[in-house]
Amino acid sequence: MTNHALSLFQLCDSNFPTGSFSHSFGLETYIQKDIVTDAKSFFEWLNVYVHEQLAYADGLAVRLAYDALEAEELEDIWELDRILTVQNLARESRDGTQRMGDRMLDIAQSIYEIPMLSTYMRKIRDKQAFGHPAIVFTMVGHHLQVEKETTILYYLYSTVVSLVQNAVRAIPLGQTAGQKIIYAFQQQLQQATDKIMKLDEEEFGVVSPGLELSQMQHERVGIRIFSS
Amino acid sequence: MSEWTGVLDLAMENRQGRSVAKSVYFQGAFKVMRPVYLNNYSYPCYYLLNPGGGYLDGDRYRMEITLDEQAQLTLTTQSATKVYKTPTRQVYQESVFHMKKGSYLEYLPDALIAYKDAKYYQKNIVHMEKGATLLYSDILTPGWSPEGEKFSYDMLRLKTEIYMEDELVVFDHIKLHPASQHMNGLGFMEGYTHLGSFIVVGEKTNDDLLDRLHETIQKEAGDFAFGLSKLAVPGFTIRIMANYTQVIERIISACHHVISDKWYQTKPSFLRKY
Repeated sequence: MTNHALSLFQLCDSNFPTGSFSHSFGLETYIQKDIVTDAKSFFEWLNVYVHEQLAYADGLAVRLAYDALEAEELEDIWELDRILTVQNLARESRDGTQRMGDRMLDIAQSIYEIPMLSTYMRKIRDKQAFGHPAIVFTMVGHHLQVEKETTILYYLYSTVVSLVQNAVRAIPLGQTAGQKIIYAFQQQLQQATDKIMKLDEEEFGVVSPGLELSQMQHERVGIRIFSS
Repeated sequence: MSEWTGVLDLAMENRQGRSVAKSVYFQGAFKVMRPVYLNNYSYPCYYLLNPGGGYLDGDRYRMEITLDEQAQLTLTTQSATKVYKTPTRQVYQESVFHMKKGSYLEYLPDALIAYKDAKYYQKNIVHMEKGATLLYSDILTPGWSPEGEKFSYDMLRLKTEIYMEDELVVFDHIKLHPASQHMNGLGFMEGYTHLGSFIVVGEKTNDDLLDRLHETIQKEAGDFAFGLSKLAVPGFTIRIMANYTQVIERIISACHHVISDKWYQTKPSFLRKY
């Protein structure tokens, strides 16, 4: 691991204060319905979420944003920011992601002072962009000269670590069980990254009906500890 | 590729309060019937028909609908759209809508039935100006298969892009590909076979409407699951999973009634044809 990759790793820490601890992206709906009840059923949910939703949206967006940064095609980045936001038809997930993007941008900007991040912030302030963590993360990864594939892998990892922490609190699972899931999931992360590297751009934004329903239904679940 | 199996162009305008066709053009295996002014409405309903009875291998359809300022239109199909097996080339349908200020479009086609080995790609592109109102629905259903499998089609892909004043505000991409997805599993169709969507974009959308739609849907009978959520612009999506077309149609129709009542104090026309 290069020192640059280590710097990017800082953004993957589940303690990095983006507010990811308050978003379950529909997981809480499955917990309330007693569909996700233990480590095994959580693993299944995580698997579907990463391979069938995250990969087609955030994952593919990291790859495309990275390419756009390489080619200095900034318009492509702002288009990605928009399509990433509007393809999320579940309001809570969409708004939550936007808030996380905003916070990640804020903190990343104070750490790295990357000009592109200031441009992104200005765009958001002028309501010309929404703010999305996948874009912020890619800007940092690209600036730190971390390879594209590694940037994708780390982004997925950061998402998964937060979701596991949330599952540990919400299901609940033991801390050790949570760490075992993160370890066992490494193979899935690599597979998802491979898939993202090969995905046709046409595949952007494919959504799984069940996952999306759970994210929409979360707005009206009885007891909530998460805001999505 | 420019060869289309069927092409339809329809432009509507508002002539002294009454919506009429400014131009209608169709060619090949795509037709519209004469407009019907249901319930003495000031705007017509056009029924689309596919004279061939279904979509076959490699068929390509294109539809372009333009609504001038304040023009209104209901567009539906005469019956379900059937997609048969497509051994060599997928069926493609592209629909482009241009909606000027204050125009109103209901595009409520019947269900799509995808038979064994069917491959279908649909692209809807809607360009709206401020103050335009769109109600759009679709229902995806699996057709009967000789082996009795629930999902015998190859692939259904539906992309919907809605632009407001040239900015993308909705992007929806459904892809059902039974060979690579655990259709009955968690996250996918979760035991259901039919998928319905109802996307509405309208400035009058508010929380009260969403609450009423939620209550309305909950009161519907039958086995189904649904989600309802606001879009990034005033409007919402309803997604429904069920096992019967009729259950989804009933829910969409009930929601349509709520919207017409709240926004226009009217009742929607009864469109179904059987």
